[in-house]
Amino acid sequence: MTEPVVPPAAEVSGSRGRLARTSTPILLVVVATLVLGACGSSSPSATRKKAKPATTTTAAANPTPTTNPATPGGPSTPAAQSAAHTATTKPSSSGGGCSATGGSLSSACDTQSPALQVTGAGANSIQPFFGRAFYFYAQANHGVAVNYSPAGSSVGVTDIQQNTVNFGDSEIPIKAPASGTGGTILQIPVDLGGVALSYNLPGVGSGLKLDGPTLAGIFLGTITKWNDPAIASLNPGLNLPSTTIVPVRRADSSGPGYDLDQYLISTGGSAWTSAAGAAPSTKWPISSVGVGQQLNTGVASFIQQTQGAIGYVEYAYALQASFTNVAVKNQAGSFVAPSQASIGAAGAQAGNLSAANFNIINGPGSGTYPLANFSWTLLYQKQTNADLGIVLGKLFDWVTTTGQQQAAALGYSPLPANVVALAHSTLLQLQNGAGQALFS
Amino acid sequence: MNPTLLEEVPPPRRTPVRGVRETLQRRGARPSGRTYALLRWAGATLFASVVLALVVSLLVSSSQAFGHSGLSFFWSGTYNASKSIYPTGIFIIGTLITTTVAIVLAVPVGVGTAALLSEFAPKWLAGPLSIMIDLIAAVPSIVVGLWGLLVLTPVFAHHVEPFLKKVPVVEWFFHGAALGPSMLLAGTVLAVMILPTIVALSRTALASVAVEDREAARALGATRWQVVRTAVVPGARTGIEAAATLAVGRALGETIAVAMVIGNTYVLPHSLLAPGATLGSAIINNFAEASPGLDRSSVIGLVVVLLVMTALVNIGGQLLLRSRLRVKAA
Repeated sequence: MTEPVVPPAAEVSGSRGRLARTSTPILLVVVATLVLGACGSSSPSATRKKAKPATTTTAAANPTPTTNPATPGGPSTPAAQSAAHTATTKPSSSGGGCSATGGSLSSACDTQSPALQVTGAGANSIQPFFGRAFYFYAQANHGVAVNYSPAGSSVGVTDIQQNTVNFGDSEIPIKAPASGTGGTILQIPVDLGGVALSYNLPGVGSGLKLDGPTLAGIFLGTITKWNDPAIASLNPGLNLPSTTIVPVRRADSSGPGYDLDQYLISTGGSAWTSAAGAAPSTKWPISSVGVGQQLNTGVASFIQQTQGAIGYVEYAYALQASFTNVAVKNQAGSFVAPSQASIGAAGAQAGNLSAANFNIINGPGSGTYPLANFSWTLLYQKQTNADLGIVLGKLFDWVTTTGQQQAAALGYSPLPANVVALAHSTLLQLQNGAGQALFS
Repeated sequence: MNPTLLEEVPPPRRTPVRGVRETLQRRGARPSGRTYALLRWAGATLFASVVLALVVSLLVSSSQAFGHSGLSFFWSGTYNASKSIYPTGIFIIGTLITTTVAIVLAVPVGVGTAALLSEFAPKWLAGPLSIMIDLIAAVPSIVVGLWGLLVLTPVFAHHVEPFLKKVPVVEWFFHGAALGPSMLLAGTVLAVMILPTIVALSRTALASVAVEDREAARALGATRWQVVRTAVVPGARTGIEAAATLAVGRALGETIAVAMVIGNTYVLPHSLLAPGATLGSAIINNFAEASPGLDRSSVIGLVVVLLVMTALVNIGGQLLLRSRLRVKAA
């Protein structure tokens, strides 16, 4: 249409006249309904548009957006950029017998792989460790940049099952048989973390002791004051104030919530199981008590701001915020605060760990912290892009061995030897598109 | 008539007519008009079918939940695998309360600002000020939410909420612990988000009030403030109501910023200081984890409820506007 789209006045009035002549009452009703419908839903459609960024908000709070794995060359991480800067000054070490296109899977060869961009999504709780580990991996292996979107364990599971990321991560492994649109999913334990019960109670610095029934009472709203007899009898040495308890929980689904729910189901008594159910849930079961906040950061900022608050966060976040943490009663009857040693002791109990037998909540041993868990990385066994498979295999072999050095500084505990062996043997099952093993 | 008043009347604006005659005389003008009419109808049909498709697909996805709970879905709620229900009624009430708080806060401030911009402020101030208010509209929800979480929450917990609890009469609305995340804070954050809509539309409405009306008021000896109060604002009432209707629509549907500051607690709020939940915040917190089947269908049912609420507000607003216009015409 090269002509100007100004309709001639005569034409406009003419068409209006025609419309008026031919319009029957029925036509009018139809038009009115359409107009009303259009007006009425203009705002809902805006709502829907907004709901989309909203679902990614969990991801928007993160520095690294998820990119389409099919297009390498998306936004690069700070790690990748810094790797590019140092590329000329730090030549990668050449190990004997290592091949960038497969070969043996050993820590000596982990940093030699094809140059690729890798995307992942999943648990929010592992983000401090992954952020640091991937940075150091990119330092050692300049070609590989990892984008991890810590939108939550459930997102990690959904995304890998729909094959929209190269790897997922979840605090709770997928129930067997683990599979998605890309076939069988391998589950690899990558870190050992704990859930801290942090509190903000001026005058009570540290050393507060709580057990299952009192924690259940707090999160059920039946124990409402910090000087409640139930708490006081567990803490004879502490001078507890009469401050109101403000329990804070995750509003979204979470791994830490699952762990605490599991602990309360086994130790909190019938008061907890009758209200919250006997099966642990990533969605916090009691939404009518206290305050719900989004992600570990939301809970942490609320604890920081509110006197009398108590809430559960990944230990790494509690350590970062220098929170005071509850010493929780373990299976042996002793009260243990979260620390690298006590979480490590919990991991050491996992003699026959597997994706089906992943639960280390309330484990035995007097020095064991009862709220510990492994985080699981999810990969497709069959990697149609063999180069990508090699990168993923070497990356996570590095993460579970050399990379564990980065865990300690952040409040995670290094993986026990048997768990490292489990991760290694699982990674050896990686195959190319033709079903041949990628590593010898 | 007072000659100084006459000077203030702007010259009547003429619509440019250049080119109309040429267009009319050109050959093929009528077919082009027909093409245009066809395009118009095609556009209207497309838009209507998109709306219909959206509604139909939402209804289909949520049919399982409505089939399971029937009409009780609107009160006692939706299915949740671990805890058997979410209370829809509480979400609806929470949505209505936060929206009311937002409107009560934003309409007086917004209309006042619009009056300042269009009637009182000098040009050098009105320009930059209105740009800054428009910029609020450009701030993404997540940023407003983070600001609410990190900046407003402590301010509300330590200053605003304890203060409101001490004010006589008003305190009736504000009892219970001052925690920060609350209906009040969510409403305040919403008020900030809907302010630009109200200011922009009210300003246009105020500016379009007829010069004759202002002159009449001035001729009766009204001061500048009295002119605005007695002639301009009542004259722009329809436009201000339209602005409020649009703002209500936005406040009802806001999700993430509300979810970050409302406290996400599923109980009937007993006070504006109590944490609560809205339809939007409940949808965003539950959708990601909802397992396929009844669980997901129930969350989509919440979306349908929200859609119905926003549609009702918009239709109500339209009807109100039409009745006003009819009264005016009569």
